[in-house]
Amino acid sequence: MSRHDVVVVGAGMAGLTAAVRLAEGGATVLVLAKGVGATHLSPATIDVLGYAPDRVDRPLEALAAFAERHPGHPYGVVGAAGVAAAVPWFAERFADGPLAPYAYTGTADENLLLPTAVGVLRPSAVVPETMAGGDLRDGGEVCVVGFRALKDFHPRLAADNLSRHPGVTARGIELDCVPEGRVDVNALGFARAFDDAAFRKDVVARVAGRLHAEERVAFPAVLGIADPHAVWSELQDRLGRPVFEIPTLPPSVPGMRVFATLRERLRRAGSRVVLNNVVTGAEHRGGTVTGVRARVGLRDVVHGADWVVLATGGFASGGVELDSRWAGREVALGLPVAGIPAPGEERFGPAYFGEHPMARAGVAVDADQRPVGADGARVFDNVLVAGATLAGAEPWREKSGEGISLATGHRAAGLILDAAGSAQRSAVAATEG
Amino acid sequence: MARLQADVLIIGGGATGAATAWDAALRGFDVVLVDRADLAEGTSGRFHGLLHSGGRYVVKDRVAAEECVAENAIVRRILPDAVEDTGGLFVTTPDDDPAYGDRFMEGCRAAGLPAEEIPVAEALRMEPRLNPGIQRAFTVPDGAIDVWKSVWSLAAGAAAHGARILTYHKVLDLHVGDGGVTGARVRNELTGEELDIEAGFTLNASGAWAAQIVHMAGIEGIGVIPGKGIMIAMNHRLVNTVVNRCTMPADGDILVPIRTVSAIGTTDIRAADPDEIPVTQQEVDQMLDGGERLVPGLRQARALRVWAGVRPLFQDDRSGPAAADTRDVSRGHAVVDHAERDGVRRLLTMSGGKLTTMRLMAQDLVDAMCRQLGDERPCRTEHERPPGHEDGRHMQIGDRLRRREATLRDEQLICECELIGRSRLEQTMQTRGTLNLDDVRRQLRLGMGPCQGGFCIYRATGILHGVERLDGEEASASLTSFLQERWKGVWPILYGDQLRQARLDDWIFQGLLDVEHLPEAAAVVPDEELSAS
Repeated sequence: MSRHDVVVVGAGMAGLTAAVRLAEGGATVLVLAKGVGATHLSPATIDVLGYAPDRVDRPLEALAAFAERHPGHPYGVVGAAGVAAAVPWFAERFADGPLAPYAYTGTADENLLLPTAVGVLRPSAVVPETMAGGDLRDGGEVCVVGFRALKDFHPRLAADNLSRHPGVTARGIELDCVPEGRVDVNALGFARAFDDAAFRKDVVARVAGRLHAEERVAFPAVLGIADPHAVWSELQDRLGRPVFEIPTLPPSVPGMRVFATLRERLRRAGSRVVLNNVVTGAEHRGGTVTGVRARVGLRDVVHGADWVVLATGGFASGGVELDSRWAGREVALGLPVAGIPAPGEERFGPAYFGEHPMARAGVAVDADQRPVGADGARVFDNVLVAGATLAGAEPWREKSGEGISLATGHRAAGLILDAAGSAQRSAVAATEG
Repeated sequence: MARLQADVLIIGGGATGAATAWDAALRGFDVVLVDRADLAEGTSGRFHGLLHSGGRYVVKDRVAAEECVAENAIVRRILPDAVEDTGGLFVTTPDDDPAYGDRFMEGCRAAGLPAEEIPVAEALRMEPRLNPGIQRAFTVPDGAIDVWKSVWSLAAGAAAHGARILTYHKVLDLHVGDGGVTGARVRNELTGEELDIEAGFTLNASGAWAAQIVHMAGIEGIGVIPGKGIMIAMNHRLVNTVVNRCTMPADGDILVPIRTVSAIGTTDIRAADPDEIPVTQQEVDQMLDGGERLVPGLRQARALRVWAGVRPLFQDDRSGPAAADTRDVSRGHAVVDHAERDGVRRLLTMSGGKLTTMRLMAQDLVDAMCRQLGDERPCRTEHERPPGHEDGRHMQIGDRLRRREATLRDEQLICECELIGRSRLEQTMQTRGTLNLDDVRRQLRLGMGPCQGGFCIYRATGILHGVERLDGEEASASLTSFLQERWKGVWPILYGDQLRQARLDDWIFQGLLDVEHLPEAAAVVPDEELSAS
């Protein structure tokens, strides 16, 4: 049986954040995950709060009132201070990360309005430098460039909808550059193509002469995976104007950049991520977990730990499940699931964009992020829950997913480091006394 | 108002209407078919896909059983490419009386249905997921039929013989004069334009909506009670053979493998309105319990989509052969002769029936018309194949994959679940000229696989935007209406893996694309405001 100070379950935004902060704080950490996490699906913008339900321009200011209106929301647990601390911490991880000088920009004080692949202006707070040039709060002219071989991005559709926003003029062009001669290439394939100087040169040659004087240029978020800063800078230089990326359907290239950066930070701090580990339960003495059981292939392995951070995601990631008799289950540790309507009551409503009674289901926690049952009592003293597993939020509609994952992962690590530090101090005090 | 003339006006573009158009066109009549929506969008497109052997009816409805026996063989012959020869099993579950099997076999013999009792062990070898507690098993020639393919090729065949197929044309009124019906006023639901159709004869093949149509000719005393049946598509071929419960027809007792899924059905619940047939969670539970009885563990499988259709259960005050109002009465069909019943000539209504006997229903309807017209022309549909079935080969589960593999390196795959390539999609959009992605779904199965459009809807919208040269507003309307249509079929069955899928789709549409906040449709500014500013 291996033994670590902390086992983190899940390798998405929340799990990696908690793990890096813990490892950099001196803890020995093991990240167990079934597979790569939600980073590979996510647009990789740090959305703190975009709609509540009206559009939010200044998320940090709006947080306190928002949390008050939604009791049990993760933002009520971490508070604005938790978000304010976590966001700059995240951006700093990129400073001398493996993709540096690729950087994040922006603050949680205000939202930018960035185009989506269907041409909506979407509020995001902190974003890759390669996306920030798409901020259209003050309008502007945009030429959206796409590729016929990339079926997951439709530049003319995006441009037509962008032009419906006041002050925005946009048009789309589609290029026939075909990496490796294939007709069907996904975002990662294009990102690899952009890492190649010859491909970039070809793209620039096809675009340069077609631009209007005031236009900025948008590309799908595929501008390089090995050295995105260099790819983006070169395109800006050669086209002589701002260039920016628009996130599109998974796999998410900017999300992979986040994963690569955090995993490398973790490695440098002496810890690691181990995939293909399905956590199936906890060994515990009363309310204290002593280790987690993980299935690797056909074997069950127990990893001992003083602390566990559970960050397996929500229903979308398979961290929480619902069976056909409408019983909810947290899959890794068997924690209770809150927010599922009783039998006979409506779980979902008939209008897609309407209200859905079970939209906020998940694991409920107390002020210290410990899981609680229906009676409010802690289930385990040394398990902390972070990210989309948490009950109380509607991350996609609120545009709050990454903010919640980042802030709750960051805070979970802080709570553990504090508790371990004070335990160590009292141990030292006891010896000295 | 624009005018159109025809020998025959057919109202309803479901299986009955399409088969009737094919039949009448083959006999040389000049045909116009109208439907208020798309082909097979009503009851026909919302059934389980079972090509009946007749086994379901042998005990209590001999006539219906005999019709099925004959028509099953004919449909296989004339629409082979829409039929998968799955074969069928009737099984006695632990909850059923084994003695019913004897009545079943006796009924099969009487109806001429080739059924055979096989040892339980052999049935379990054929279908390993079957309930191991079954007590008896019988084989029958059931099959699976692709209803869209059938209806489209019947309509295409009719069109090839001169028929005009007008989808999205709603009947507003029937013209009555000279002791009978002389045509109808219809409205193009896409453009709002009205059209006058002068017809020598009118055939009402509108199924659950038939009473609404005949009321327009002042005919009273006919009602149609919509009998709601729900079905759930499970994401696997849990069985490769149609599995029926060997008992009196009940809820959730048929499991049909159709293409890459299997459909469990069905219920029979009276609905107030054929256009209002919501599915309840309780009905879903009933279906799943029924399915568990046939295939234990069905609840753990992934449910893809649920839908409801309405059987047309006729009620006639002058209780004739057409009277029918519960599951216990004939699933057979009858032609209502309004000249005889109501003194209204040149109008016939098809009542009752089922998809398996669509060809026979069409034949009976057109025969009755010929008799009234005194213009007997022989029916040719028993041997003639409509377009798309020339090679006479049955559909096979691997056909699509084989076709797809041939073009793998040359063509983008737009819908991975249903293996739809870009050129096929663009071609369909061009020929249909529709802005409604749901029309494309019915024709190509776009978005009908496990991800329920999570990945292909955005792509299809982008492609539609280009093909049809739409503006952002029109394209966005297509996108959001398709999302709503898709949601309608999934929200009552969101549990297990399909809930996970739905959340991933939310991630894409709400999180990544933020479809919810697409710009509002441009408001029309009144003239005064323009001049004031």
